[in-house]
Amino acid sequence: MSLDPGTIVPLAVTFESFTDVDFWISVGIIAGTYTIVALGLQLNTGFTGIVNFGQAAFMAIGAYTMAILVLKAGFSFWLSLPIAVLAAMLFGVIVGLPSLRLRADYFAIATIAMAEVVRLFAQNARGLTGGNQGLFCDTEGDTSVCYTNDWRDLSDSINENIVSNFWSNPDTLFPLFLVVWLTVGIAVVALSYFQGTPWGRVLRAIREDEDAARALGKNTLLYKLQSLAISACLGAIAGFFLALNLATLHPIDFEPLVTFFAFSVLILGGMANYKGVALGAVLFWVVLEATRFIELPDPPFTETRLASLRLAITGLLLIGLMAFRPQGIFGKREEMVIGE
Amino acid sequence: MNDHHQTGGSSPSPAEPPRTLLEVDEVVKRFGGIRAVDGATMKVREGTITALIGPNGAGKTTLFNVVTGFYRGDRGSVTFDGRQVFGEAPYEIARKGMVRTFQITKALAAMPVIDNMMLAAPDQPGERFRNLILRPDAVRRREKEVRADAMELLEIFNLAELADDYAGTLSGGQRKLLELARALMARPKLLLLDEPMAGINPVLGKRLLDHMQQLRQERGVTFLFIEHDMEVVMNHSDRVVVMAEGRVIADGEPQEVRADKSVIDAYLGGVAADTVAGEKPYR
Repeated sequence: MSLDPGTIVPLAVTFESFTDVDFWISVGIIAGTYTIVALGLQLNTGFTGIVNFGQAAFMAIGAYTMAILVLKAGFSFWLSLPIAVLAAMLFGVIVGLPSLRLRADYFAIATIAMAEVVRLFAQNARGLTGGNQGLFCDTEGDTSVCYTNDWRDLSDSINENIVSNFWSNPDTLFPLFLVVWLTVGIAVVALSYFQGTPWGRVLRAIREDEDAARALGKNTLLYKLQSLAISACLGAIAGFFLALNLATLHPIDFEPLVTFFAFSVLILGGMANYKGVALGAVLFWVVLEATRFIELPDPPFTETRLASLRLAITGLLLIGLMAFRPQGIFGKREEMVIGE
Repeated sequence: MNDHHQTGGSSPSPAEPPRTLLEVDEVVKRFGGIRAVDGATMKVREGTITALIGPNGAGKTTLFNVVTGFYRGDRGSVTFDGRQVFGEAPYEIARKGMVRTFQITKALAAMPVIDNMMLAAPDQPGERFRNLILRPDAVRRREKEVRADAMELLEIFNLAELADDYAGTLSGGQRKLLELARALMARPKLLLLDEPMAGINPVLGKRLLDHMQQLRQERGVTFLFIEHDMEVVMNHSDRVVVMAEGRVIADGEPQEVRADKSVIDAYLGGVAADTVAGEKPYR
């Protein structure tokens, strides 16, 4: 992702990677990860009417809690996962208890602040998180302790025992790709089921008019807390995948931009539809990554300028979509509502 | 839960006074320096249709909001069905059987009519998240019952054919009916209606009143409603409560209230004066 203006990438290489399977597997992992992030936002914003701009914080808490438990406390990777999920959910409830009483727009502001507090904490609590240096493997003697070790072992055995049967020399990231999209599938099915239940109906009522729901005997704060906690759970899981994909953690990986990319995915796919989120994420990342291959003469198009141009093009596509299909690809125009 | 008491008790006989369902005592609600409700005291007797009237700014809607928990009152007490509910959250009060509607209808426009109805049903275990996983069968069973109840009520209100339409596609009058039908899904003992007749045509208004009479008879629902139209109030309610400047100045049968001098001064006199002033072209 990061572009160093000093290095000049020969054009031939970029052309090759356009047809490179490994490259598209990486894009698929990012798209899948963002699908999971945006599914949480769909539950919050699309179905409960609470605008959560702090999803990056739940990803950060998930990823950092897992990594710290493994690296600093010697927990097993597999045990650290549920603990990290619970930590993110608990954090969501603690933050939500005071802030979910606010109006939707003030809640949105509060969540950005919350996400930045988490990121800045990660940046400054160097003893725990490694700060801007990042959190990566510890070397003890000649063995290196990484939070990714247990996953790598499983990943390698998936490739050796299963994938190699139909793909002779599989990409090392292919198992992660599989697990990410399997998770997406499970999450979409589960969330769609919950949405169709009486519980989901109460959420939609809150989305539209919280007072109406309260007047009919619904404890709306409880439902909003549940919505936020489930979203935090999904955020934490996405955080794991990000951590496994990157192999090191930096606070910069959890900037508000991450949340806003996920919101772009949400808007692209359409509000109040879970399947649309997956399509939105694939489309968003394919466009964002495919624009890497745009070739323009340098000068005036230096690499940094091209990088900015990529975002501009993606933004233009989003604006275009909003103009022609404001409800997104799969969204329902009748259900375009966000709480006051 | 829904005790069907004294069916058909339209006009309560003085020999055997029906019990008090709602008792509001010395309720005060201040906004800054203004006392919107200034020590209001009133009663709603079970099985009656009680009207709450008063000039604009008398504090009627504010009192509604305090009684139903949407505003936190500064002082006073509200006893509903023998229990103190003053200061409780709106959802707690609604679950006890006191359900309200709003002056501006809150039909949930982005939800189908049937979902609006089913939302209001009490005792749906499927509204608790854990039951979705632990007791999916109980949820499905109750959902079936709720749907049948909802369709039955929609039939009564002539909305059954619109069940699958988004509530947003309904006319203003139909939304009022839907809101009333939805409130009934919650199985209220007492229904508080904030200006149910406002903004709908007289024919539909008449239908709404007929519904109220019918529901009182058949389901034993007690009504308290805010209304401006004096004719409606006098002809269709058993009791009339009059508010002015945050206080209750009269509470009685329509004829008594009509004859009450303080009411004529504070309300009817005020209206008459306003009307005269309004008709005179300003020079």
